[in-house]
Amino acid sequence: MLTFLALASVVLLGIVPEQSQAIVIYTGWERHALVGSDIRLSCSFFSWRWTSEDVTFSWTYRPDGSRDSISIFHYTGGVPYVDNKGPFRDRLEFVGNPGRRDGSILLKNLEFTDNGTFTCDAKNPPDIVGRPSSVRLLVFEKVPIQAGVITGAIIGVVLGLLVLIVVIYYLMRFLVARRVFSLSVSKHGKKKKEGSQQRQGPVPPADPSKIKV
Amino acid sequence: MLILLGAIFALHIIGIVLLLVATIDNAWWVTDDIYTDVWGRWMMTNNVWNLTDLPSTYPENYLQAVQASSVLACIFSILGIFVFLAQLFTLPKGQRFTISGIFQLLACLCIMIAASIYTDRFHLDERNGWYGHCYILAWIAFALTFFSCITYFVLRKKTA
Repeated sequence: MLTFLALASVVLLGIVPEQSQAIVIYTGWERHALVGSDIRLSCSFFSWRWTSEDVTFSWTYRPDGSRDSISIFHYTGGVPYVDNKGPFRDRLEFVGNPGRRDGSILLKNLEFTDNGTFTCDAKNPPDIVGRPSSVRLLVFEKVPIQAGVITGAIIGVVLGLLVLIVVIYYLMRFLVARRVFSLSVSKHGKKKKEGSQQRQGPVPPADPSKIKV
Repeated sequence: MLILLGAIFALHIIGIVLLLVATIDNAWWVTDDIYTDVWGRWMMTNNVWNLTDLPSTYPENYLQAVQASSVLACIFSILGIFVFLAQLFTLPKGQRFTISGIFQLLACLCIMIAASIYTDRFHLDERNGWYGHCYILAWIAFALTFFSCITYFVLRKKTA
């Protein structure tokens, strides 16, 4: 009886977590773009279930400094619905592939007022429990060089040159040593042959009286 | 002989320490309520020190050059101490410690480049401030590493 209960509990514990695994949504963390350009905001999800036909994606936008979000995109029942009244009308396009769990949107002709946070929420019935993920959009007039890039580049190049010089030095030594070694072996081989021919004659026989007993 | 070796080692270590302090600590230029270096600026507001970014009037590429060469000076000096220890055990008798000397020379050059660029390009019109202790330590480290490099080029290994 006790063993049956133990087995049953193990089996149930094995099944139950699978039913309550959450869906995990992935977007970028921060995106930088030039004013007037286009940007693709990617959204994808991970779910233990197969991609259902009722999968939904929705994007909401919250401008910087505001507390309200506005819904700008919704995909459901196989049909994408883009914003036709809000701040992104005629500038939003759906470029994702829901069958491959991709719910990305394309924002065209960016303006400075588009700075803000975009949140993607995806649902894959029956896997609907999950946290929406947000990506922050920053629109620049001129994309700035980030603070440490030149510093890191200088340090990397100098150290790389150092390593290169060391490697080349050891390579040259190795190659030169091999050349010298092979030359000396061939010379040594010739000398040995001549030497052994000369020595055949005058080898003094070992004097048995001189060997100490 | 051992004392000489110890003195040379200590000189190199002191050079490394000074270079690290000069690069990491934050007093290249000091006024009454500002401590600044090549990485950031500490400002005293209402008796509280706040870390702020360097002003955007700083010439960006010269700043990054100073950052890069001071970090490189530290790296070369630290590599040099390891190379010196390696050479101490592997060098044949009578040879000079050239490679350690080369590393120290590179460190010396790099910190000289860093300090020179900083002197020439930054704080040119500011009157109400003075150079802080890290700046002075950078120049002292330049002198020490130069002296150390000369020592390595002149010294010969006496015992096998």
